[in-house]
Amino acid sequence: MPMPSDAMNYETLFDKAPCGYVLADKDGRIVRSNQTFLAWTGHVGDEILGKRFSDLLPIGGKIFYETHFAPSLHMQGNFSEVALDIVGRDGSKIQVLANAALLPASDDGPAVIHFAIFRAAERRMYEKGLLEARDKAEEAIKSERADSELREQFIAVLGHDLRNPLASITSGVHMLGKESLSERGNKVVGLMMGSVVRASALIDNVLDFARGRLGGGITLARSSKPLEPALRQVVSELRSVSPGRTITAHYEIDEPIDCDHTRIGQLLSNLLGNALTHGAKDLPVQVDAKRTEHDLVIAVTNGGKPIPAKALERLFQPFFRGNERLQHGLGLGLHIASEIARAHGGTLVARSDKIATTFILTMPIAQANK
Amino acid sequence: MAGELHQIERIDTGDATPIASLIEQQLNARELGVGQRAMMFAHGYGCDQNMWRYVAPAFEQDFRTILFDYIGAGGSDLGAYDAQKYASLSGYADDVVALGRAMDVRDGVFVGHSVSAMIGLIAARRAPELFSALVLVGPSPCYIDDADYVGGFSRDQILELLEFLDSNHMGWSQAMAPVIMGNSERPELAEELTGSFCRTDPEVAKQFARTTFLSDTRAELGEVDARVLILQCRDDVIAPPSVGEYVRNAIPGSELVHLNATGHCPNLSSPVETIAAIKAFV
Repeated sequence: MPMPSDAMNYETLFDKAPCGYVLADKDGRIVRSNQTFLAWTGHVGDEILGKRFSDLLPIGGKIFYETHFAPSLHMQGNFSEVALDIVGRDGSKIQVLANAALLPASDDGPAVIHFAIFRAAERRMYEKGLLEARDKAEEAIKSERADSELREQFIAVLGHDLRNPLASITSGVHMLGKESLSERGNKVVGLMMGSVVRASALIDNVLDFARGRLGGGITLARSSKPLEPALRQVVSELRSVSPGRTITAHYEIDEPIDCDHTRIGQLLSNLLGNALTHGAKDLPVQVDAKRTEHDLVIAVTNGGKPIPAKALERLFQPFFRGNERLQHGLGLGLHIASEIARAHGGTLVARSDKIATTFILTMPIAQANK
Repeated sequence: MAGELHQIERIDTGDATPIASLIEQQLNARELGVGQRAMMFAHGYGCDQNMWRYVAPAFEQDFRTILFDYIGAGGSDLGAYDAQKYASLSGYADDVVALGRAMDVRDGVFVGHSVSAMIGLIAARRAPELFSALVLVGPSPCYIDDADYVGGFSRDQILELLEFLDSNHMGWSQAMAPVIMGNSERPELAEELTGSFCRTDPEVAKQFARTTFLSDTRAELGEVDARVLILQCRDDVIAPPSVGEYVRNAIPGSELVHLNATGHCPNLSSPVETIAAIKAFV
């Protein structure tokens, strides 16, 4: 292929190259530079001869050159991709990337350092933008973390402070329940008890949710003991605060189960509360708890309108409250229940058709008993 | 994981050398040479023990030579970096003392380049039994001009340097890629592939620059038990000749030798002259 004669001319290749060339002796004193470099920097060829390459750098670059650039160049023979500012003749700073190679002394002459200089203003601006964006993101994360911590503390304190008066109300209602009251009085006390139970469950769920979101996750206090008493207690609690509703329960758990009994109780309480709220009021709610060969299975079933397929997908997301306007609670109950299942290595699924809606916890016990 | 295991293997099977102490491992310390008296080489800011590669071998016949990397540089254990400790040269001096004691150095020679000259001086004050001779290559107790004292830089210039380091990818060689690190079957591959000297973690480089160039250790000068040699280069922008003279005048009995070498790193640019000056002194 024929080549234009100019391209064969190495002088031209050197002088007109689309990058700056600077040649220096081994101490970094400039012995030659190309026209491109002079045009970029405004320096005059004769004036920079004999100057040190580092003399063309502002102070930061100069110190960097002496302490890292030059030593590395001497040791490994080359040093590349360094972001530098070169001070032009008029004092302006030209942003560049520099590559350097040290060619050792040979028969052709003494050692020479070759610098190839590339303008990099755009790229440096881009990098600067990236760095600023990173710093901003780090700042934002930091302040976000601080906020989170504050929120966590706030929620923890709030939860604690709410529980105390709630406990007083609970014992007060219990005491009233033992008095001989009018029929109306008994009814009011029953309603109050129901509210207390629901409020206490809400506090538990909110605290768990906050902990889960803020990195703590659901923590388990496992022990191996019979589970049935814990489940029975939840059922009877909800029975007592749901007059007029039928809850049937069936237990087939003969052995102790290794799990967090309080948490599984909380899970059942959330499922049962959900079934009582959303199920048809005239149909019973059924609890089935059994141990299969490998799993613990707890199912809560209610009758009534089926849950739409679309809603089923999002059922376990926090703050999901279906389409109904009038709703109890924050929509955290099912989310927390599924988190409790997950913490136990189990799953919580929902099935719903025209006849019944069932939530099923399946939790491996073979693994849990190890 | 594989990498960690391999390292343990290497230490266990390494010739007849006993298992290295923690500080030796953290500082990537190496002991060479067949002599009795210890000679410890300490690198300066921006580099690692490789910067002694042309000088240290010349002393292996007569000395037990010790090389190491400060935490954050070269092959040191980056996990041992503690920003608070290394915010002052005193923290680095503590490491030199700990290393000297771990490696049983007594009446040895300390050769410190650049900021390490002052680190060595602090270490020698703290543990006088370690070194009976100090070779300070391009020392500067304070880089910033202060009243009559000429350090070579104005405070603004040093702040400009620190800002420059903050805002630029300066070509610090990053730590080796994890993929290469994990190659436990051929650990030497990592060395070969990077082939890069003076590796310094960019974050550490910034902080070490701050510690180094904002330090003022003039109070550490003065009477010292060890004999002191100061090597001063021509045309050294980091530590100009006036600073070398200041150090000589401030340490009674110290000896100042002007090298023909130019720049800040005579150990690299003029190793022969550097070796001769150290030999004449020890």
